Amino acid sequence: MSGHIGTVARKEFEDAGRSKLLWSLIGLLVGLVTVGYVAIWYTADDVTAAEVLSFVGTPLQVILPIAALIAGYMAVVGERRSGSIKLLLGLPPNRTDVVFGKLLGRTAVVTAAVALACLVSLVLSAVLFGSVPFVDWLGFAAVSALFGAAFAGLAVGTSAAVSTRGKSMAIVVGIYMILIALWELITAGPYHLIYGEGPPVEAETWYLLLEQFNPIFAYTNLISQIVEGSVFPFQFQYGLQSAGAYGMTPAERYPGDAPFYLQDEFGVVVLLCWLVVPVAIGYYRFNRTDL
Amino acid sequence: MTAIETSGLTKTYGDLVAVDDLNLSVEKGEVFGFLGPNGAGKSTTINMLLDLTRPSAGSATVLGYDAQTEADAISPRVGVLPEGFDIYPRLSGRRHVEFAIETKDADNDPDAIIERVGLSADDADRPAGDYSKGMCQRLATGMALVGDPDLLIMDEPSSGLDPHGIREMQDLVRAEAERGTTVFFSSHILQHVEAVCDRVGVLNDGELVAVDTIEGLREDIGGGATMELTLVEAAAGLRETAASIAGITDVVASDHALECTVTDPAAKADLVIALDDAGATIEDVRIDDVSLETLFTALTNGDESEAATETETASATASESGVAR
Repeated sequence: MSGHIGTVARKEFEDAGRSKLLWSLIGLLVGLVTVGYVAIWYTADDVTAAEVLSFVGTPLQVILPIAALIAGYMAVVGERRSGSIKLLLGLPPNRTDVVFGKLLGRTAVVTAAVALACLVSLVLSAVLFGSVPFVDWLGFAAVSALFGAAFAGLAVGTSAAVSTRGKSMAIVVGIYMILIALWELITAGPYHLIYGEGPPVEAETWYLLLEQFNPIFAYTNLISQIVEGSVFPFQFQYGLQSAGAYGMTPAERYPGDAPFYLQDEFGVVVLLCWLVVPVAIGYYRFNRTDL
Repeated sequence: MTAIETSGLTKTYGDLVAVDDLNLSVEKGEVFGFLGPNGAGKSTTINMLLDLTRPSAGSATVLGYDAQTEADAISPRVGVLPEGFDIYPRLSGRRHVEFAIETKDADNDPDAIIERVGLSADDADRPAGDYSKGMCQRLATGMALVGDPDLLIMDEPSSGLDPHGIREMQDLVRAEAERGTTVFFSSHILQHVEAVCDRVGVLNDGELVAVDTIEGLREDIGGGATMELTLVEAAAGLRETAASIAGITDVVASDHALECTVTDPAAKADLVIALDDAGATIEDVRIDDVSLETLFTALTNGDESEAATETETASATASESGVAR
């Protein structure tokens, strides 16, 4: 590393800060939080400020990945296609600086969006509900930021690994669809084939571990730990699992004391994996390719 | 010491050989023109020097550092104007130059750089996405000049520039050369190279077909000039007078025109004086120098098996290009 990561990241942040698309995404996040708060304040009477956070977590699990993926999927490949990467690599920054500078810059952008949305929720919480569940709020913001960073990592990693915009988009959209729409088919389907029945509540450990590694589940499980009330993962349901299993975390489904990797807190590791592994693959491929 | 040295540098894409066993040496302080038609492998070679593309075989050094393993030592000392690049459309021109200054840890004044490449202060404040191709070219040139590099590598620097811009570019290359900067630049347009280069290398189909000074190349290809004189008198009577002058190898007379092949430049004046002494009245003189273009066509289109007839091809194309003008 030649120490230009920070310079590249700053340029990235500045460049992305002028992107209209990004501002509309930030607007969407902030708008979502605002609408959520106002709607709950208007309709429900006996809701505490702490409980509102869980309502905000539900739409965030769907929108935040989309925002982060959009912010990141063009990061490296976009410059490769336009040719600005030649201008960049003609200067002292090398490929390592480019990948990690981009990752840092784009993650910072997503984090800034999350921070802005959380600040709005803080203000609305105080104004509309008269109190601020500060510890809950801080945990919520931190986990949401990590969640956003995980998807930014996935997107930047993908953008470094492929040679065309189309491929990058196909991969991130594909992964998002798998996580949110096809997950049960892909995990419970094989389970059905192996054991002749769909996963019961107390499913095999490998299956629970697989569930654990869905970053969206990891997020909702973590948030449920932090805020009052539960955030349920938004999923397409195919009825392959036993009905009682939906909405339960792997830790709850495990008979007896769950091992550490099935605990809800392990979600932090899961989210970090989704951040690190795609970047590692993307970096490896980008370092070896001809531009 | 050499600024750029390649040994056996080769790049293949499947069956296609883009650069074939290239051995090239560019001395420090010289202005080297890297010529060749589009698709000859110029950009591939430059991309290998900049570690954007990895060689299939062979190696290259830039300023004494290995282009692949020591790329980080090279980039701070080199200014690069890449080919087929793009700017960051949302960032201002000035921000681009500032970014280059930050990465090179240089102490240049961004405004001075911007002025030097012919962009106005107003232009510099605008997002670079609004720039024309020529302005982008100027901006990237400015970024390349940041940090007073020891070596400038410019890939097709004249693309997108109007004739005025091209002259400015040539002035800039000369000024950099005077400062002691080595300049390596590629082009497929010969006039742009002719005016500024100490030496040229001609690349065709991935192979280096010639490396020489421009004068050297001219001599090699048997390059003389053709002199065409229009006379008031009938030309036939003066043919012998013209043919008797040393340095004139061939004279064709038709009606009032004498067409002479000149091998020694000094013979041109002798010819005019001799004709004048012989009582001829010269109405017009036209000289077709063997242009670099002719050399180039001969070198890049001339089949190797026809090396012997290369000279003829050259003079044939010389007259063609003369007519075209």
